[in-house]
Amino acid sequence: MSSTVEVEPGAAPESVLVTADSCENFEHMNSSLEEIKNLIEIKQAAEESTIETVVSENLEETGNFSECDDDEDDYVQNSEWTSRKKQVFVLSMAGKPIYSRYGNEDKLAWLFGVMQTLVSFVQSTNDDCIKSIHAGDTTFVFLVKKPLILVTVSKTHESENQLISQLNYVFNQITSTLTLTRLNKIYEQRQNYDLRRQLTGAERLIDHLLDFTEKEPSFLLGAVQCLPLASSVRNTISSAITGACNKIKNLVFAILLANNKLITLVRMKKYCLHPADLHLIFNLVQASESLKNSENWTPLCLPRFDSSGFLYCHVSYLSEDCQACLLLLTVERDVFYVLSQAKQAIVEKLRRTNCLEAINNSLTTNEETCLTAGFTELRHYLYKCKSTAQFYQPSLAPPYTLEKERLLELYKRAHQHLHCSSRPLKLVFEKSSKEVVLAWDTKGFELYVVFEPLIDTTGAINLVGKLLNWIKNREDKLFHLNAPTF
Amino acid sequence: MAERPRILQATTPGTFSRSLLSNITSTPNVSAMSTKNEVELKNFFIFNSSLGPKEGEEIKKIVYYFPPTDSNDQQIKNVGLVEGIIQFTETFKPSSEVSSLHTLKQRQLYYQPEKDFWIVMTLIVPTVKKNKDSTSTIEYLEDDIQDNVYSAVLQQAYLMYRLFWDTFHNAFKKDDINVFKTRLDVFYSAYIKTMKLAHSDILNIFSGIQYLPLDMQSFLKVQTFINELECNYNDIVHSAFLYNDHLIWSGIEPSDMKIAYQYLIGTLLPANMETELQGGSMPRNSGSPFAALHHGRFITGPTNLKTAKTVGKVPKIYLFGGKTPCTYRLAVYRALSASVCLFIKDVELSLGFFKELDEFMSSKITSIVSDIAEYCSKQVLTPSSLPESTPRFIYFNKLNLAYKSTVHLDNKQSGNIVCARDSLKIIADINKKKGIFGHSGEVIVKTMNDYWVVGKTSNSREFYIAINQKNASLIDISDEVKKICDTELKGIFFHPI
Repeated sequence: MSSTVEVEPGAAPESVLVTADSCENFEHMNSSLEEIKNLIEIKQAAEESTIETVVSENLEETGNFSECDDDEDDYVQNSEWTSRKKQVFVLSMAGKPIYSRYGNEDKLAWLFGVMQTLVSFVQSTNDDCIKSIHAGDTTFVFLVKKPLILVTVSKTHESENQLISQLNYVFNQITSTLTLTRLNKIYEQRQNYDLRRQLTGAERLIDHLLDFTEKEPSFLLGAVQCLPLASSVRNTISSAITGACNKIKNLVFAILLANNKLITLVRMKKYCLHPADLHLIFNLVQASESLKNSENWTPLCLPRFDSSGFLYCHVSYLSEDCQACLLLLTVERDVFYVLSQAKQAIVEKLRRTNCLEAINNSLTTNEETCLTAGFTELRHYLYKCKSTAQFYQPSLAPPYTLEKERLLELYKRAHQHLHCSSRPLKLVFEKSSKEVVLAWDTKGFELYVVFEPLIDTTGAINLVGKLLNWIKNREDKLFHLNAPTF
Repeated sequence: MAERPRILQATTPGTFSRSLLSNITSTPNVSAMSTKNEVELKNFFIFNSSLGPKEGEEIKKIVYYFPPTDSNDQQIKNVGLVEGIIQFTETFKPSSEVSSLHTLKQRQLYYQPEKDFWIVMTLIVPTVKKNKDSTSTIEYLEDDIQDNVYSAVLQQAYLMYRLFWDTFHNAFKKDDINVFKTRLDVFYSAYIKTMKLAHSDILNIFSGIQYLPLDMQSFLKVQTFINELECNYNDIVHSAFLYNDHLIWSGIEPSDMKIAYQYLIGTLLPANMETELQGGSMPRNSGSPFAALHHGRFITGPTNLKTAKTVGKVPKIYLFGGKTPCTYRLAVYRALSASVCLFIKDVELSLGFFKELDEFMSSKITSIVSDIAEYCSKQVLTPSSLPESTPRFIYFNKLNLAYKSTVHLDNKQSGNIVCARDSLKIIADINKKKGIFGHSGEVIVKTMNDYWVVGKTSNSREFYIAINQKNASLIDISDEVKKICDTELKGIFFHPI
């Protein structure tokens, strides 16, 4: 299979995002925070006390944009509860309920007990570790991540790896509100601790995150999608941010996003953001309507960046007339006003340079479908550039406008087929009565294409070549090719 | 030679010869950097929770347990875990009962063939030990064990038992529990040794039958022979005719035939071949001009009619494929390369009956077999004589359970295959997903080492091809597939996809 494209579309010399496999277990945490703090020689107060205060602060801060919804009242006998497509449970190693996606944890306490027993029973024999149970259409996946146990019960046909990746996201969401250090400390001190006290507010984020992982291909691909913008506009935006922020010490990341797409990301030299962390940020913004109303200041731990401590995050929307969200992340705890001023400066600069308008235009313009782009036998596709961890997808077109879920299922299946851990494949061409799916994994990119059902291999290969050229010609617009720094 | 008595025993119902390559082995793959352990059996047990509902009587639940060296406590503990898992999964109302448990180091498979009876098989996950800079790490190859393959192995273990000993529940009604337990013990302790776990693959999922395609003339001769036989001897209800490992005619339901076929091909005939090769009980040409004409003998029943005083062992078998379950006696008559299986009414059998049958069959069978042999010798090449890069295929038809494989060089499940082992595993992966295709579909995949595997399904037929051609393109492969379908599947109804 060859095309005239020499360098895969969307590839750039430097990436704003750390690139890594989406299914990878999130074991290796960096200690970037320490590094930054040491680098600029900030004297830290005793570690213990800061973490304590930070947590209480965190609760106050996050508490204001979330409320615990406790009104659901489900039982196991309830057919609505058992027919749920995907249940997710989080418990402590001691079996204490922490989170249940549906239903009240206290009423399911016995079930949490059973899950804990299963985990410890298997562990006690031969130091083994329970991974999954399979029963007809239902898959039970266990993720034992000390000090927590995460379990999902899924009827969604997703693969074990995909489900594990989702549980990892849930774990990361919890560490994101507490930090891993704090989490470990809590259970070192009291095994029987009821963690829910620390997580009021985070529950809603987990709920949203789970919906998010089910609906968005970005989680599957371990990549983010960019808002299409002319490269000149994107550069102007990036330099407006750099200009306003380059004098502010210890600012690590500035992220501008809108409608679940990345506009730009400016970073401190040497530091990159992992897509998994960026997904948590997207989730935070998406899940919290109240962010729109005011400027916010919240501590936030990015587990892949540094799971031991918090970054502090200034979150605000650009303006009434431009619904893009700006996040400024720093290691300093008390620079709200400095960042607030910087934000004002950025907005003014963007307004003067007509960038707000450009963003709005892009937000209101529907993206091309395959048909409008001239590909008649092509229904939909996902293109991921591996070196930059960014992806592009066209607008949905019939028949998938009504079957969005099924389309994503096709992609999930193809993705799983390619990335089966012991028998990975380079290429899958799958023909059924409803459609033809081509999944192709190369050094530089991953491509998933859905064709009309009657296409043959020759037609499909020709189209893929044309498609890659089409993307290549638009890569400036569709991808964030620079990796600007402060 | 010390093995001989045991081999002869193998012809008695439900015992399985040990000489058929015990597979519970770990073959260390000696290489400089890594050593691999194959899949191994950890335990195998059957229990019924309703047999020991009281606390302290848990051991009563267990009707069979392997290995017997596990302590009672250990056995009870293992059953307890399974019971816990069954209950836990039921909470979420899955579409069918629990079928497997994956842990880092083990795989447990569950099968509930009859209400309350569970058969459980625990496998040890294969590992690779890698030595790097004086430290060695063990990697668990979880995906090497494919649930669909080993579920089929487990199911087969039950069906084979049922063929000879009826259902668990019926045995319960008829006999004392201790008789039942002893029978399970005798059967499974031998059966487990014949399971070829390391070489189980897609063929276990199909558990199909190899048919012999014949010209019309020869086929009619076989059928006439069968009809005559069944007309003359009313006690013979059904019969089946095999030539070597291939089935030519069967009068019983395919679902019954597949188990009987596995017993014949896997146990009875190979054991018998060995005795023949060792000069066992095959009548010899002792100078008599008439002896040369007499080629057949019974391999179940009176194996040597000249000296026999009784009818010997004619196994009772239970068939469930028809409207009502039936019981027959299975007598197998072997002449030259043909085997005639007689499903006889479960009545008192006399030696005279067998003598009559022997005369009837031996007179006719020689000419039929020589016709078949002649036809076969004119047919195409055997798989092993094809060049390396030839595409290999496996075909399966769910309707008559027919399969054909040029991937496997024999049907002994000895791992004698001519494509990459991973390709065979990918075939089983594709088989698992075939449900999503609906009526018909096609998958072409390219592996990391540039091999290709193709799967097609249409009209209950499945066709898999493994192609070891590097540097081929997707278009080349789809052309190749078309060609193979044209030559191999001519006349077989397959959606043109």
